[in-house]
Amino acid sequence: MSSGVSTVKNKSGLTVICDAGPIIHLDELDCLDLISDFTQVILPERVSLEIERHRQSALGKAGISFVIMGRRTHLDPGLLTMSRTFMLDAGEMEALALMKYNPKAVFLTDDASARLVAKQMGFEVHGTIGILVRSIRRGKRRPEEVLRVLSELPQRSTLYLKHSLLDEIILKVKDEFGL
Amino acid sequence: MKTIQAELPEQLYKKVQSLVKEGWFRDEDVVLAEATRRFLETHESELMEKFIREDVEWGLHGEE
Repeated sequence: MSSGVSTVKNKSGLTVICDAGPIIHLDELDCLDLISDFTQVILPERVSLEIERHRQSALGKAGISFVIMGRRTHLDPGLLTMSRTFMLDAGEMEALALMKYNPKAVFLTDDASARLVAKQMGFEVHGTIGILVRSIRRGKRRPEEVLRVLSELPQRSTLYLKHSLLDEIILKVKDEFGL
Repeated sequence: MKTIQAELPEQLYKKVQSLVKEGWFRDEDVVLAEATRRFLETHESELMEKFIREDVEWGLHGEE
């Protein structure tokens, strides 16, 4: 069990390459500031367009700077085939193409297929829930705050989770911090 | 077979129509059923749960 107290840590050394989902979902939950804990936050151009279409406000948040990158080269045939097989969208494909140039970066996505492909390619990949829970470890949120966000998630966000799984996550966080 | 009513973005629907017109599929129903089947294959509940549990573990105990 961890104590509920954690110190605020300096910015993480990690670079993240984002799909639209986590940016949109974190913004819906008023938690987009958590993304600024990473050294560099890269958005593929297609992903930034997707966010602009669905959640324009997310791109203009004070204190959060995104690096928007276009695709550098044609997609290699292996990635193209895998992306088509798993029905990835253009943004996810661009993100994975950028991951090939930044293999130490973390890929943020809430899409199961994109996650599956990224893992197959050997990349580290996480999603909105991971970022939320991580904020306690990083000293950016208190456990109670994250528990509140998690419990409000079905009403406040378009990230849909199986109810029993969400209950399990809440219980795990409570257990971890003795709440 | 179950009949459902759903809304599709215009552009997506045009692509479905185009595939049928070109002769790749018998009709729009077949395209949509096939697309749904493929989507479901990569979005199995167990797999999504596994990913989320891994996320929680990383969130709580990950090292960076």
